[in-house]
Amino acid sequence: MLVVENLHAGYDASEVLDGVSLRVKQGSVVALIGANGAGKTTAMRAISGMLKPTQGRVLLDGQPVQELGSARIAKLGLAHAPEGRKVFGPLSVEDNLLLGAYSRLPAFFGFRGKAAADLARIYELFPRLRERSQQAAGTLSGGEQQMLAIGRALMANPKVMLLDEPSMGLAPVIVQEVFRIIKRLKQAGITLLLVEQFARSALEVADYVYVMEHGKIAVEGVPDEIRKNQRVLEAYLG
Amino acid sequence: MSVIVQLVVSGALMGMVYALIAYGFQLTYSTSKSINFGQGELVMLSAFVSLSLINTGLPYWLVVPGGLLFGVLLGLFVERAAVRLALEQKGEGWILLTVIFGLLGFSAAENIWGRDDRPFPTPVPSDPMHFFGIGITPLEISVAIGVLAVMGMVELFKRKTLLGKAFEAVSADRDAAGLMGVSATRIIMLSYGLSGLVAAMAGILVAPITTVGPTMASALILKAFSVAVVAGLDSGFGVVVVGLFLGALESLASFYIGSGWREAPGLILLIMALALRPNGVFGKASIRKV
Repeated sequence: MLVVENLHAGYDASEVLDGVSLRVKQGSVVALIGANGAGKTTAMRAISGMLKPTQGRVLLDGQPVQELGSARIAKLGLAHAPEGRKVFGPLSVEDNLLLGAYSRLPAFFGFRGKAAADLARIYELFPRLRERSQQAAGTLSGGEQQMLAIGRALMANPKVMLLDEPSMGLAPVIVQEVFRIIKRLKQAGITLLLVEQFARSALEVADYVYVMEHGKIAVEGVPDEIRKNQRVLEAYLG
Repeated sequence: MSVIVQLVVSGALMGMVYALIAYGFQLTYSTSKSINFGQGELVMLSAFVSLSLINTGLPYWLVVPGGLLFGVLLGLFVERAAVRLALEQKGEGWILLTVIFGLLGFSAAENIWGRDDRPFPTPVPSDPMHFFGIGITPLEISVAIGVLAVMGMVELFKRKTLLGKAFEAVSADRDAAGLMGVSATRIIMLSYGLSGLVAAMAGILVAPITTVGPTMASALILKAFSVAVVAGLDSGFGVVVVGLFLGALESLASFYIGSGWREAPGLILLIMALALRPNGVFGKASIRKV
Protein backbone atom coordinates (compact mmCIF):
# COMPACT_ATOMS: atom_id res chain seq x y z
CA MET A 1 0.00 0.00 0.00
CA LEU A 2 2.61 2.54 1.12
CA VAL A 3 6.24 1.87 0.27
CA VAL A 4 9.06 4.24 1.13
CA GLU A 5 12.45 3.60 -0.43
CA ASN A 6 15.72 5.22 0.55
CA LEU A 7 14.10 8.54 1.43
CA HIS A 8 16.39 11.54 1.98
CA ALA A 9 15.09 14.92 3.07
CA GLY A 10 16.05 17.85 5.23
CA TYR A 11 15.75 21.55 5.88
CA ASP A 12 18.03 23.91 3.96
CA ALA A 13 21.54 22.54 4.23
CA SER A 14 21.02 20.03 7.00
CA GLU A 15 19.95 16.57 6.00
CA VAL A 16 17.63 14.93 8.51
CA LEU A 17 16.60 11.77 6.70
CA ASP A 18 19.49 9.64 5.58
CA GLY A 19 17.84 6.93 3.54
CA VAL A 20 14.66 5.73 5.22
CA SER A 21 12.90 2.68 3.84
CA LEU A 22 9.69 1.22 5.20
CA ARG A 23 6.47 -0.36 4.05
CA VAL A 24 2.94 -0.29 5.35
CA LYS A 25 0.72 -3.15 4.22
CA GLN A 26 -2.96 -2.68 3.59
CA GLY A 27 -4.98 -2.88 6.78
CA SER A 28 -1.95 -2.90 9.06
CA VAL A 29 -0.84 -0.51 11.77
CA VAL A 30 2.84 0.33 11.58
CA ALA A 31 4.58 2.26 14.34
CA LEU A 32 7.61 4.46 13.84
CA ILE A 33 9.40 5.08 17.12
CA GLY A 34 12.67 6.64 18.10
CA ALA A 35 14.31 9.38 20.13
CA ASN A 36 13.51 13.05 19.73
CA GLY A 37 15.30 14.41 16.69
CA ALA A 38 15.69 11.01 15.06
CA GLY A 39 13.69 12.29 12.09
CA LYS A 40 10.30 10.65 12.62
CA THR A 41 8.27 13.78 11.94
CA THR A 42 10.51 14.73 9.03
CA ALA A 43 9.89 11.29 7.57
CA MET A 44 6.13 11.82 7.86
CA ARG A 45 6.39 15.26 6.28
CA ALA A 46 8.48 13.93 3.42
CA ILE A 47 6.01 11.09 2.79
CA SER A 48 2.96 13.35 2.67
CA GLY A 49 4.68 15.95 0.51
CA MET A 50 4.82 18.77 3.05
CA LEU A 51 8.54 18.57 2.55
CA LYS A 52 10.04 17.66 -0.79
CA PRO A 53 12.39 14.67 -0.55
CA THR A 54 15.82 15.24 -2.03
CA GLN A 55 16.25 11.59 -2.95
CA GLY A 56 14.33 8.33 -2.80
CA ARG A 57 10.82 7.22 -3.63
CA VAL A 58 7.41 7.14 -2.03
CA LEU A 59 4.98 4.69 -3.62
CA LEU A 60 1.29 4.94 -2.89
CA ASP A 61 -0.52 1.93 -4.31
CA GLY A 62 2.51 1.36 -6.52
CA GLN A 63 2.45 4.90 -7.90
CA PRO A 64 5.46 7.16 -7.23
CA VAL A 65 4.23 10.33 -5.55
CA GLN A 66 7.39 11.92 -4.11
CA GLU A 67 7.35 14.75 -6.68
CA LEU A 68 3.69 15.68 -6.43
CA GLY A 69 3.35 17.98 -3.43
CA SER A 70 0.99 17.61 -0.50
CA ALA A 71 -2.28 18.66 -2.17
CA ARG A 72 -2.03 16.12 -4.98
CA ILE A 73 -0.79 13.35 -2.70
CA ALA A 74 -3.80 13.99 -0.45
CA LYS A 75 -6.09 13.66 -3.46
CA LEU A 76 -4.55 10.26 -4.21
CA GLY A 77 -5.69 8.99 -0.83
CA LEU A 78 -3.03 9.74 1.75
CA ALA A 79 -4.26 11.59 4.82
CA HIS A 80 -1.80 13.08 7.29
CA ALA A 81 -2.83 14.18 10.77
CA PRO A 82 0.27 16.26 11.41
CA GLU A 83 2.32 16.88 14.50
CA GLY A 84 0.87 19.74 16.49
CA ARG A 85 -2.60 18.87 15.11
CA LYS A 86 -2.81 21.97 12.88
CA VAL A 87 -6.58 22.34 13.00
CA PHE A 88 -7.99 25.42 11.28
CA GLY A 89 -8.48 27.55 14.39
CA PRO A 90 -10.89 30.21 13.14
CA LEU A 91 -13.12 27.68 11.36
CA SER A 92 -15.82 25.64 13.05
CA VAL A 93 -15.28 22.02 14.00
CA GLU A 94 -17.70 20.96 11.29
CA ASP A 95 -15.98 23.05 8.65
CA ASN A 96 -12.68 21.46 9.62
CA LEU A 97 -14.21 18.04 9.10
CA LEU A 98 -15.77 19.02 5.78
CA LEU A 99 -12.40 20.26 4.58
CA GLY A 100 -11.00 16.85 5.42
CA ALA A 101 -13.14 15.51 2.58
CA TYR A 102 -12.34 18.46 0.29
CA SER A 103 -10.83 16.29 -2.47
CA ARG A 104 -13.97 14.28 -3.04
CA LEU A 105 -16.75 16.82 -2.42
CA PRO A 106 -18.27 19.34 -4.84
CA ALA A 107 -16.68 22.77 -4.39
CA PHE A 108 -19.82 24.90 -4.38
CA PHE A 109 -23.16 23.31 -3.61
CA GLY A 110 -24.42 20.05 -2.25
CA PHE A 111 -21.23 19.20 -0.36
CA ARG A 112 -23.05 19.00 2.96
CA GLY A 113 -25.47 16.39 1.74
CA LYS A 114 -22.72 14.33 0.20
CA ALA A 115 -20.64 14.47 3.38
CA ALA A 116 -23.53 13.81 5.77
CA ALA A 117 -22.98 10.06 6.14
CA ASP A 118 -19.24 10.40 6.75
CA LEU A 119 -19.82 13.26 9.15
CA ALA A 120 -22.26 11.13 11.11
CA ARG A 121 -19.71 8.33 11.25
CA ILE A 122 -17.03 10.70 12.63
CA TYR A 123 -19.45 12.16 15.17
CA GLU A 124 -20.27 8.65 16.31
CA LEU A 125 -16.58 7.95 16.84
CA PHE A 126 -16.04 11.32 18.56
CA PRO A 127 -19.24 12.41 20.30
CA ARG A 128 -17.44 15.44 21.73
CA LEU A 129 -16.97 16.81 18.24
CA ARG A 130 -20.70 16.63 17.61
CA GLU A 131 -21.36 18.63 20.78
CA ARG A 132 -18.90 21.25 19.61
CA SER A 133 -19.58 21.11 15.89
CA GLN A 134 -20.31 24.83 15.54
CA GLN A 135 -17.54 26.01 17.84
CA ALA A 136 -14.32 27.50 16.45
CA ALA A 137 -11.71 24.74 16.39
CA GLY A 138 -9.15 27.00 18.05
CA THR A 139 -11.24 27.08 21.23
CA LEU A 140 -11.12 23.30 21.73
CA SER A 141 -8.90 21.65 24.32
CA GLY A 142 -5.74 19.90 23.16
CA GLY A 143 -7.35 16.47 23.35
CA GLU A 144 -10.40 17.62 21.42
CA GLN A 145 -8.19 19.19 18.79
CA GLN A 146 -6.39 15.88 18.42
CA MET A 147 -9.72 14.10 17.97
CA LEU A 148 -10.59 16.70 15.36
CA ALA A 149 -7.29 16.23 13.55
CA ILE A 150 -7.88 12.47 13.43
CA GLY A 151 -11.51 12.91 12.41
CA ARG A 152 -10.53 15.37 9.71
CA ALA A 153 -8.02 12.89 8.28
CA LEU A 154 -10.63 10.10 8.39
CA MET A 155 -13.11 12.26 6.48
CA ALA A 156 -10.97 11.76 3.40
CA ASN A 157 -11.67 8.00 3.50
CA PRO A 158 -7.93 7.63 3.00
CA LYS A 159 -6.10 4.60 1.68
CA VAL A 160 -3.31 5.31 4.15
CA MET A 161 -3.36 7.52 7.18
CA LEU A 162 -0.31 9.08 8.81
CA LEU A 163 -0.73 9.95 12.46
CA ASP A 164 2.09 11.99 13.94
CA GLU A 165 2.51 12.16 17.73
CA PRO A 166 -1.21 12.05 18.57
CA SER A 167 -0.45 11.98 22.30
CA MET A 168 1.86 15.00 22.31
CA GLY A 169 1.14 17.44 25.10
CA LEU A 170 -1.94 15.62 26.35
CA ALA A 171 -2.90 14.56 29.86
CA PRO A 172 -2.43 10.81 30.61
CA VAL A 173 -6.18 10.14 30.65
CA ILE A 174 -6.55 11.73 27.23
CA VAL A 175 -3.56 9.78 25.92
CA GLN A 176 -5.36 6.55 26.90
CA GLU A 177 -8.42 7.82 25.06
CA VAL A 178 -6.32 8.52 21.97
CA PHE A 179 -4.96 4.96 22.02
CA ARG A 180 -8.48 3.56 22.40
CA ILE A 181 -9.36 5.44 19.24
CA ILE A 182 -6.31 4.09 17.43
CA LYS A 183 -7.35 0.56 18.40
CA ARG A 184 -10.79 1.21 16.99
CA LEU A 185 -9.30 2.48 13.76
CA LYS A 186 -7.24 -0.68 13.59
CA GLN A 187 -10.34 -2.82 14.09
CA ALA A 188 -12.02 -0.87 11.32
CA GLY A 189 -9.20 -1.90 8.99
CA ILE A 190 -7.63 1.53 8.54
CA THR A 191 -4.08 1.39 7.16
CA LEU A 192 -2.06 3.46 9.58
CA LEU A 193 1.48 4.73 9.99
CA LEU A 194 1.87 5.96 13.54
CA VAL A 195 4.66 8.07 15.02
CA GLU A 196 4.61 7.93 18.77
CA GLN A 197 6.79 8.95 21.69
CA PHE A 198 5.01 6.51 24.00
CA ALA A 199 6.79 3.54 22.52
CA ARG A 200 5.16 1.03 24.85
CA SER A 201 1.63 2.01 23.89
CA ALA A 202 2.61 2.14 20.25
CA LEU A 203 3.96 -1.43 20.44
CA GLU A 204 0.64 -2.60 21.84
CA VAL A 205 -1.36 -1.46 18.82
CA ALA A 206 1.20 -1.99 16.07
CA ASP A 207 1.51 -4.96 13.72
CA TYR A 208 5.02 -3.97 12.76
CA VAL A 209 7.54 -1.52 14.18
CA TYR A 210 10.39 0.57 12.80
CA VAL A 211 12.88 2.18 15.15
CA MET A 212 14.59 5.30 13.84
CA GLU A 213 18.00 6.57 14.85
CA HIS A 214 19.83 9.52 13.29
CA GLY A 215 17.67 9.66 10.20
CA LYS A 216 17.82 5.93 9.48
CA ILE A 217 15.87 2.83 10.36
CA ALA A 218 18.02 1.16 13.00
CA VAL A 219 15.83 -1.80 13.94
CA GLU A 220 12.62 -3.24 12.60
CA GLY A 221 10.38 -6.15 13.42
CA VAL A 222 7.11 -7.29 14.87
CA PRO A 223 6.40 -5.86 18.35
CA ASP A 224 7.49 -9.04 20.19
CA GLU A 225 10.90 -8.96 18.56
CA ILE A 226 11.30 -5.28 19.28
CA ARG A 227 10.43 -5.80 22.92
CA LYS A 228 13.22 -8.33 23.22
CA ASN A 229 15.78 -6.21 21.43
CA GLN A 230 18.30 -5.17 24.06
CA ARG A 231 19.26 -1.91 22.39
CA VAL A 232 15.69 -0.75 21.94
CA LEU A 233 14.83 -1.85 25.42
CA GLU A 234 17.49 0.34 26.97
CA ALA A 235 16.92 3.34 24.76
CA TYR A 236 13.14 3.61 24.47
CA LEU A 237 11.30 1.20 26.67
CA GLY A 238 13.23 1.91 29.87
CA MET B 1 -25.86 71.23 12.48
CA SER B 2 -27.41 69.89 9.31
CA VAL B 3 -24.27 70.98 7.47
CA ILE B 4 -22.22 68.69 9.65
CA VAL B 5 -24.63 65.82 9.15
CA GLN B 6 -24.62 66.41 5.42
CA LEU B 7 -20.82 66.40 5.34
CA VAL B 8 -20.66 63.25 7.44
CA VAL B 9 -23.16 61.38 5.27
CA SER B 10 -21.62 62.36 1.95
CA GLY B 11 -18.13 61.70 3.21
CA ALA B 12 -19.10 58.35 4.70
CA LEU B 13 -20.60 57.23 1.40
CA MET B 14 -17.29 57.99 -0.29
CA GLY B 15 -15.64 56.09 2.54
CA MET B 16 -17.53 52.99 1.42
CA VAL B 17 -15.41 52.98 -1.74
CA TYR B 18 -12.22 53.11 0.34
CA ALA B 19 -13.60 50.21 2.32
CA LEU B 20 -14.25 48.18 -0.82
CA ILE B 21 -10.73 48.69 -2.16
CA ALA B 22 -9.29 47.95 1.27
CA TYR B 23 -11.33 44.75 1.30
CA GLY B 24 -9.59 43.80 -1.95
CA PHE B 25 -6.24 44.18 -0.17
CA GLN B 26 -7.45 41.92 2.62
CA LEU B 27 -8.52 39.18 0.22
CA THR B 28 -5.04 38.60 -1.12
CA TYR B 29 -3.28 39.36 2.15
CA SER B 30 -5.26 36.72 4.00
CA THR B 31 -4.28 33.92 1.64
CA SER B 32 -0.76 34.92 0.62
CA LYS B 33 0.45 37.70 2.93
CA SER B 34 0.96 39.73 -0.20
CA ILE B 35 -0.93 42.64 -1.73
CA ASN B 36 -1.01 44.25 -5.14
CA PHE B 37 0.57 47.68 -4.90
CA GLY B 38 -0.82 48.35 -8.36
CA GLN B 39 -4.38 47.88 -7.14
CA GLY B 40 -5.19 51.54 -7.88
CA GLU B 41 -4.29 51.04 -11.52
CA LEU B 42 -6.50 47.97 -11.53
CA VAL B 43 -9.38 50.17 -10.35
CA MET B 44 -8.58 52.78 -12.98
CA LEU B 45 -8.06 50.37 -15.90
CA SER B 46 -11.32 48.58 -15.11
CA ALA B 47 -13.12 51.93 -15.12
CA PHE B 48 -11.56 52.82 -18.48
CA VAL B 49 -12.49 49.48 -19.99
CA SER B 50 -16.05 49.88 -18.70
CA LEU B 51 -16.16 53.37 -20.21
CA SER B 52 -14.99 51.98 -23.54
CA LEU B 53 -17.69 49.33 -23.32
CA ILE B 54 -20.29 52.04 -22.74
CA ASN B 55 -18.97 53.93 -25.76
CA THR B 56 -19.47 50.88 -27.94
CA GLY B 57 -23.15 51.25 -27.13
CA LEU B 58 -23.41 48.26 -24.84
CA PRO B 59 -26.27 48.56 -22.34
CA TYR B 60 -25.25 49.37 -18.76
CA TRP B 61 -26.35 46.01 -17.37
CA LEU B 62 -23.83 44.33 -19.68
CA VAL B 63 -21.10 46.91 -19.09
CA VAL B 64 -20.92 46.12 -15.37
CA PRO B 65 -20.28 42.36 -15.72
CA GLY B 66 -17.90 43.13 -18.59
CA GLY B 67 -15.90 45.52 -16.42
CA LEU B 68 -15.91 43.06 -13.54
CA LEU B 69 -14.70 40.25 -15.78
CA PHE B 70 -11.86 42.46 -16.96
CA GLY B 71 -10.96 43.15 -13.32
CA VAL B 72 -10.88 39.43 -12.53
CA LEU B 73 -8.64 38.69 -15.53
CA LEU B 74 -6.30 41.51 -14.65
CA GLY B 75 -6.14 40.31 -11.05
CA LEU B 76 -5.26 36.81 -12.25
CA PHE B 77 -2.63 38.29 -14.56
CA VAL B 78 -1.02 40.19 -11.67
CA GLU B 79 -0.87 37.02 -9.61
CA ARG B 80 0.68 35.01 -12.40
CA ALA B 81 3.11 37.66 -13.60
CA ALA B 82 4.12 39.51 -10.46
CA VAL B 83 3.32 37.45 -7.38
CA ARG B 84 3.53 33.70 -7.87
CA LEU B 85 7.24 33.32 -8.54
CA ALA B 86 8.17 35.66 -5.71
CA LEU B 87 6.00 33.70 -3.28
CA GLU B 88 7.41 30.38 -4.46
CA GLN B 89 10.87 31.69 -3.68
CA LYS B 90 9.54 32.90 -0.34
CA GLY B 91 10.82 36.35 -1.24
CA GLU B 92 9.43 39.86 -1.15
CA GLY B 93 9.87 40.41 -4.88
CA TRP B 94 6.11 40.82 -5.28
CA ILE B 95 6.36 44.30 -3.73
CA LEU B 96 8.52 45.71 -6.49
CA LEU B 97 6.84 43.66 -9.21
CA THR B 98 3.33 44.84 -8.33
CA VAL B 99 4.56 48.44 -8.14
CA ILE B 100 5.99 47.97 -11.63
CA PHE B 101 2.70 46.49 -12.79
CA GLY B 102 1.00 49.64 -11.51
CA LEU B 103 3.40 51.90 -13.38
CA LEU B 104 2.91 49.90 -16.58
CA GLY B 105 -0.86 50.08 -16.14
CA PHE B 106 -0.63 53.82 -15.69
CA SER B 107 1.44 54.29 -18.86
CA ALA B 108 -0.85 51.99 -20.78
CA ALA B 109 -3.88 54.04 -19.75
CA GLU B 110 -2.19 57.32 -20.73
CA ASN B 111 -1.26 55.91 -24.13
CA ILE B 112 -4.55 54.22 -24.88
CA TRP B 113 -7.07 56.66 -23.45
CA GLY B 114 -5.06 59.87 -22.99
CA ARG B 115 -4.43 61.99 -19.94
CA ASP B 116 -7.75 63.77 -19.74
CA ASP B 117 -10.41 63.02 -17.24
CA ARG B 118 -13.60 61.88 -18.88
CA PRO B 119 -17.14 61.75 -17.58
CA PHE B 120 -18.58 58.31 -16.93
CA PRO B 121 -22.24 58.18 -17.94
CA THR B 122 -24.56 56.28 -15.65
CA PRO B 123 -28.26 55.56 -15.73
CA VAL B 124 -28.47 56.38 -12.01
CA PRO B 125 -29.63 59.98 -11.51
CA SER B 126 -27.48 62.36 -9.50
CA ASP B 127 -30.17 64.83 -8.38
CA PRO B 128 -30.21 64.80 -4.61
CA MET B 129 -33.19 63.45 -2.75
CA HIS B 130 -33.86 64.97 0.62
CA PHE B 131 -34.27 63.04 3.83
CA PHE B 132 -34.71 65.14 6.97
CA GLY B 133 -32.97 68.07 5.29
CA ILE B 134 -30.01 66.02 4.11
CA GLY B 135 -29.44 65.66 0.41
CA ILE B 136 -28.36 62.22 -0.84
CA THR B 137 -28.11 61.42 -4.51
CA PRO B 138 -29.30 58.08 -5.87
CA LEU B 139 -25.79 57.79 -7.26
CA GLU B 140 -24.34 57.85 -3.76
CA ILE B 141 -26.90 55.30 -2.64
CA SER B 142 -25.99 53.07 -5.56
CA VAL B 143 -22.36 53.24 -4.44
CA ALA B 144 -23.26 52.13 -0.92
CA ILE B 145 -25.50 49.32 -2.20
CA GLY B 146 -22.92 48.19 -4.74
CA VAL B 147 -20.17 48.08 -2.13
CA LEU B 148 -22.23 46.11 0.36
CA ALA B 149 -23.56 43.79 -2.34
CA VAL B 150 -20.17 42.77 -3.66
CA MET B 151 -18.64 42.41 -0.19
CA GLY B 152 -21.66 40.44 0.95
CA MET B 153 -21.40 38.12 -2.02
CA VAL B 154 -17.72 37.43 -1.46
CA GLU B 155 -18.36 36.81 2.24
CA LEU B 156 -21.22 34.45 1.41
CA PHE B 157 -18.94 32.60 -0.97
CA LYS B 158 -16.30 32.27 1.74
CA ARG B 159 -18.71 31.01 4.37
CA LYS B 160 -21.20 28.92 2.43
CA THR B 161 -19.22 27.08 -0.22
CA LEU B 162 -16.57 24.44 0.33
CA LEU B 163 -14.19 26.33 -1.94
CA GLY B 164 -14.75 29.38 0.25
CA LYS B 165 -13.96 27.35 3.34
CA ALA B 166 -10.79 26.16 1.60
CA PHE B 167 -9.98 29.84 1.11
CA GLU B 168 -10.29 30.37 4.87
CA ALA B 169 -8.29 27.21 5.51
CA VAL B 170 -5.37 28.51 3.45
CA SER B 171 -5.56 31.79 5.37
CA ALA B 172 -5.48 29.92 8.67
CA ASP B 173 -2.81 27.31 7.92
CA ARG B 174 -1.42 26.87 4.48
CA ASP B 175 0.48 23.64 5.23
CA ALA B 176 -2.50 21.96 6.82
CA ALA B 177 -4.71 23.06 3.92
CA GLY B 178 -2.32 21.29 1.57
CA LEU B 179 -2.81 18.08 3.54
CA MET B 180 -6.56 18.34 2.85
CA GLY B 181 -5.83 18.41 -0.88
CA VAL B 182 -6.32 22.18 -1.07
CA SER B 183 -3.76 23.70 -3.42
CA ALA B 184 -2.59 26.97 -1.89
CA THR B 185 -1.38 28.14 -5.30
CA ARG B 186 -4.89 27.79 -6.72
CA ILE B 187 -6.47 29.52 -3.75
CA ILE B 188 -4.02 32.43 -3.95
CA MET B 189 -4.85 32.71 -7.63
CA LEU B 190 -8.53 32.78 -6.75
CA SER B 191 -7.93 35.46 -4.12
CA TYR B 192 -6.23 37.67 -6.70
CA GLY B 193 -9.13 37.11 -9.07
CA LEU B 194 -11.61 38.11 -6.39
CA SER B 195 -9.47 41.08 -5.45
CA GLY B 196 -9.53 42.17 -9.08
CA LEU B 197 -13.31 41.79 -9.13
CA VAL B 198 -13.63 43.97 -6.05
CA ALA B 199 -11.27 46.61 -7.49
CA ALA B 200 -13.20 46.70 -10.76
CA MET B 201 -16.45 47.11 -8.85
CA ALA B 202 -14.93 50.02 -6.95
CA GLY B 203 -13.83 51.60 -10.23
CA ILE B 204 -17.25 51.25 -11.83
CA LEU B 205 -19.02 52.59 -8.76
CA VAL B 206 -16.78 55.58 -8.19
CA ALA B 207 -16.22 56.58 -11.82
CA PRO B 208 -19.45 58.60 -12.24
CA ILE B 209 -18.42 60.66 -9.18
CA THR B 210 -14.69 61.14 -9.76
CA THR B 211 -14.68 60.93 -13.58
CA VAL B 212 -12.30 58.56 -15.33
CA GLY B 213 -8.63 59.41 -15.86
CA PRO B 214 -5.23 57.80 -15.35
CA THR B 215 -4.86 59.47 -11.95
CA MET B 216 -8.42 58.81 -10.76
CA ALA B 217 -7.34 56.16 -8.26
CA SER B 218 -4.07 57.55 -6.95
CA ALA B 219 -5.70 59.39 -4.04
CA LEU B 220 -8.28 56.63 -3.57
CA ILE B 221 -5.69 53.93 -3.23
CA LEU B 222 -3.69 55.78 -0.61
CA LYS B 223 -6.79 56.12 1.51
CA ALA B 224 -7.89 52.55 0.90
CA PHE B 225 -4.46 51.48 2.05
CA SER B 226 -4.82 53.60 5.19
CA VAL B 227 -8.21 52.01 5.82
CA ALA B 228 -6.82 48.50 5.37
CA VAL B 229 -3.92 49.13 7.73
CA VAL B 230 -5.97 51.02 10.32
CA ALA B 231 -8.69 48.35 10.34
CA GLY B 232 -6.18 45.52 10.24
CA LEU B 233 -5.38 43.48 7.16
CA ASP B 234 -7.29 40.50 8.55
CA SER B 235 -10.34 42.21 9.99
CA GLY B 236 -13.12 41.46 7.49
CA PHE B 237 -15.88 43.99 7.94
CA GLY B 238 -13.69 46.23 10.09
CA VAL B 239 -12.77 48.04 6.88
CA VAL B 240 -16.36 49.23 6.49
CA VAL B 241 -16.33 50.91 9.90
CA VAL B 242 -12.95 52.54 9.32
CA GLY B 243 -13.88 53.47 5.74
CA LEU B 244 -17.07 55.22 6.88
CA PHE B 245 -15.15 56.98 9.63
CA LEU B 246 -12.31 58.15 7.39
CA GLY B 247 -14.70 59.30 4.66
CA ALA B 248 -16.68 61.38 7.12
CA LEU B 249 -13.55 62.75 8.75
CA GLU B 250 -11.95 63.97 5.55
CA SER B 251 -15.16 65.49 4.33
CA LEU B 252 -15.33 67.50 7.57
CA ALA B 253 -11.64 68.39 7.34
CA SER B 254 -11.89 69.68 3.80
CA PHE B 255 -14.92 71.82 4.67
CA TYR B 256 -13.76 73.28 7.97
CA ILE B 257 -9.99 73.43 7.54
CA GLY B 258 -9.68 73.77 3.80
CA SER B 259 -9.95 71.52 0.79
CA GLY B 260 -6.16 71.11 0.71
CA TRP B 261 -6.44 69.16 3.96
CA ARG B 262 -8.67 66.48 2.50
CA GLU B 263 -5.87 63.92 2.35
CA ALA B 264 -4.54 64.68 5.81
CA PRO B 265 -6.85 62.61 8.05
CA GLY B 266 -6.11 59.40 6.20
CA LEU B 267 -2.38 59.86 6.53
CA ILE B 268 -2.61 60.90 10.17
CA LEU B 269 -4.76 57.85 10.92
CA LEU B 270 -2.26 55.66 9.10
CA ILE B 271 0.68 57.00 11.09
CA MET B 272 -1.22 56.70 14.37
CA ALA B 273 -2.27 53.17 13.57
CA LEU B 274 1.23 52.08 12.66
CA ALA B 275 2.56 53.61 15.88
CA LEU B 276 -0.16 52.50 18.27
CA ARG B 277 -1.89 49.44 16.82
CA PRO B 278 0.23 47.88 14.09
CA ASN B 279 -2.18 44.96 13.76
CA GLY B 280 -5.10 47.30 13.20
CA VAL B 281 -7.96 48.49 15.36
CA PHE B 282 -10.00 45.41 14.49
CA GLY B 283 -7.07 43.15 13.75
CA LYS B 284 -6.18 40.18 15.82
CA ALA B 285 -2.96 40.60 17.71
CA SER B 286 -0.64 38.08 16.16
CA ILE B 287 0.01 35.65 18.94
CA ARG B 288 2.23 32.84 17.90
CA LYS B 289 1.86 29.58 19.68
CA VAL B 290 5.08 27.68 19.88
